[in-house]
Amino acid sequence: MKGLAKDLGQLIGSHSVKDDVEDLLAYEADATHYFARGKPDAIVLPITAEDVSKVLRYASNTANLPVTPRGAGSGLSGGSTPIKGGIVLDMKRMNHILEINQGNLTARAEAGVVLANFHRAVEKLKLFYPPDPQSMTVCTLGGNVATRAGGPHGVKYGTTPTYVLGLQVVLPDGSIIKTGSTCVKHSVGYDLTHLMTGSEGTLGVITQTTLRLLPLPPMDKTIIVSCKSAESAAETVSAIIAAGMIPAMLEYLSQGAVCLMNDILNPPLETGGEAYLFIKLDGQEKQIMDESRQIESICHEMKVQEVRVIEDEKEAQSYWKARSSLYPLIMSEAHKVITEDVTVPRDRIPTYLRALSEISARLGVSIGAGGHAGDGNIHPSIMMRDDSPEQMKISQAAVREVVKAGLDLGGSISGEHGIGWHKAEFIVDELGQRQVNLMKSIKKAFDPTGIMNPGKIWVEGGSSC
Amino acid sequence: MLNDLASYSDLMEKCSHCAFCEATCPVYLADLLETQVARSRMLIVKETLLEKNLPFSKRAEEVINRCLLCSSCQQTCPVNVPVDEIVMAARYQVYKGKRLNLPKRMLLKQVMEKRGIKGLLKKADLLAKSVGISPKEIPPLPKKSFEDLYQGTYEPEGKARDHVGYFVGCATNTLYPDTGDAVMKVLQVNGIKVTIPDKIVCCGIPALAEGDIETARELMEKNVNMLAELDVNSIITDCTSCGLTLKKKLLQVIPEDDPLSEKARAVASKIVEVTDYLNQTGLTRTPNEVDQPYTYHVPCHGNWTETVNDAPRSLLSEIPGTTLKEMEEPEKCCGAGGIFFMDNKKLSQAIRAPKIKDIKETGTNMVITQCPSCRSYLNSGLDGEKQVMHPIALLARAYGFKSLNEESE
Repeated sequence: MKGLAKDLGQLIGSHSVKDDVEDLLAYEADATHYFARGKPDAIVLPITAEDVSKVLRYASNTANLPVTPRGAGSGLSGGSTPIKGGIVLDMKRMNHILEINQGNLTARAEAGVVLANFHRAVEKLKLFYPPDPQSMTVCTLGGNVATRAGGPHGVKYGTTPTYVLGLQVVLPDGSIIKTGSTCVKHSVGYDLTHLMTGSEGTLGVITQTTLRLLPLPPMDKTIIVSCKSAESAAETVSAIIAAGMIPAMLEYLSQGAVCLMNDILNPPLETGGEAYLFIKLDGQEKQIMDESRQIESICHEMKVQEVRVIEDEKEAQSYWKARSSLYPLIMSEAHKVITEDVTVPRDRIPTYLRALSEISARLGVSIGAGGHAGDGNIHPSIMMRDDSPEQMKISQAAVREVVKAGLDLGGSISGEHGIGWHKAEFIVDELGQRQVNLMKSIKKAFDPTGIMNPGKIWVEGGSSC
Repeated sequence: MLNDLASYSDLMEKCSHCAFCEATCPVYLADLLETQVARSRMLIVKETLLEKNLPFSKRAEEVINRCLLCSSCQQTCPVNVPVDEIVMAARYQVYKGKRLNLPKRMLLKQVMEKRGIKGLLKKADLLAKSVGISPKEIPPLPKKSFEDLYQGTYEPEGKARDHVGYFVGCATNTLYPDTGDAVMKVLQVNGIKVTIPDKIVCCGIPALAEGDIETARELMEKNVNMLAELDVNSIITDCTSCGLTLKKKLLQVIPEDDPLSEKARAVASKIVEVTDYLNQTGLTRTPNEVDQPYTYHVPCHGNWTETVNDAPRSLLSEIPGTTLKEMEEPEKCCGAGGIFFMDNKKLSQAIRAPKIKDIKETGTNMVITQCPSCRSYLNSGLDGEKQVMHPIALLARAYGFKSLNEESE
């Protein structure tokens, strides 16, 4: 081991530090590997908050030694890509669920706990933790909090921030703080819990989370709707919401997406429709039955092609499993894919989908649209045919237009992936320079030497940076 | 082609780096270092062996060697990258079949050619020592091998409603003839005529795991020629790894433009796992009631058809009185990986530990699994606390047959 790794090994034990070139290679990027990479100088795998504290104190006292925290490395914004080198802090060995309090409906868990394992643990006790980013079999609670991750459940239950009550955080100077509380109500000073939530590793390192739980809904039901046109699907979504119903999940999928999913769907879906809705209802049996009937009749009124209430539990699960594999399936289809995370007010979805087809036709680039239509979070996927500079140029133009079209409709550049590196150039467009400068000042207060995940959220340079 | 790593570059490019392989790779889960997970493994193979931007270091060697070839990563991979084949091809490129030292290699070759370790039985201690394990970790070897007990063709009770070939793997032949005996009895009472082909050799999977594609091919050629001569509709196997090899890997070793291709494809199309086969053909004799709760460990190599993994569950549900108590993670690898556990003791034990805990938490005293390697490795991990057996052996018991093991007691 060389100097840095040797020092770190002395601080927290050599079994927690790696710096072979193969290890460094493995930690160069998150799931956006094809677009940006950075070679770290050492990988640190802490097992306690004290380990993290020692490492951060060391980094703060060393010139030019950035620290990039990392969960599963499954992010879609380059947030955990160590673009400036330095230390990658892999949090996955801090993976203990410390407490599930049935009386208070809360849980305390370390940052490296894998979301699916957490789901399983609380569901065993008939409790429910709704956030469901589609990488849930691997992504970690810490990563979820740091990026405000969400998924199909967002429409009814909101995303990760809704459930964060408190955090244990290690600040860049090595001090360990506890924010928030285990109470459902809390009104004490600035809400540092929700400042850390979504901070993408730029302010400190989240080592522990206190999360709110719900009782597990006793039943659910899946409905698959196929529609003649994208427009008809989007309008059906609006009609369902306008009728006062909020399904647990309400997903919009294009014909292309369903064709890809058919690779792993058994039996495959008919692909006669131009767009599909995957709907899940949850709750008490009577309520589900009522809503299911109501949705069926709305669908008929909207003249959809087919509505199917799935009775077989296994079949229902297969649709949601295929849905959660959609992103990687798309990745395998095109040469490269840039997946955006634009969110618009949900009544603007039909308009936004029209805008996407217009951009696609005008620029001559294929744009897949699928996503959490129920909460307005669409994931436009820009498909690159090859690596040529020309394709890159067109795709980047498409990204800009897709983002701008979303903002023009009163939308946002990210619903649940975070900004990371890939969307940093757009943040001023949404928030304005004044707000971004304020954020930079906040960062300075937390991280005066700028060690925490530099180069993320905003483009460096400008007045206060 | 397994002997051409470069032929896998397109498949490797399909990896989107989504990280979903972190959910299932047992080697990664044992210490949670991303270097050992499939997406990084492939990146390292690409950089060191294909594009050669990095030297092939000791660490890189470790990364390609510390893979069980369980293909758990592939099962969770949305784009189905054949990581096991890529690792086999990488091992081929690096070692050209000489990964093991000479004595071990010779021993393995002998085992594969003789379909087991018959003739070496008396040297069990020597065998154990040469592969660096204590004799305790391999099951006591029965006095008679399967081929000592059964050879040729067996007519069923009553009129035959089907005629199958039975590919008896090395482990069933020498370590677990009780499985083979149960298979024979169960098929016969269900009206199935069985032919045990002569001069069968090892399916070749241990050679593939070594990246010894040439030896695997020699073995496969012998088997294909022999099996192609059987006048049967189906060739059954009791071992999921033999099945995987004969159904899928065979086609990678003997490609479509090969002179043997047609024969190989005809053989592969007939291969069926025995519980899957019995589910499809149905039982003609109803099993008796057996009051036996059991849990089912799904072998990693069960995924070569869509129905293999579930087949024991539905077959055993035909036995009145049995109840399946599912583990939390029935599909999680046990750490054996064929003979991987012999050279990777600590790692395999670390992988096995949560499995053993999961089994114990079901509260059952019986574990069912089709894979002989899992059976042996789980058995030693459970310290004889629970019985580990093939699903067909439980069915045979429900028909009132004594197991070979009980008979010898």
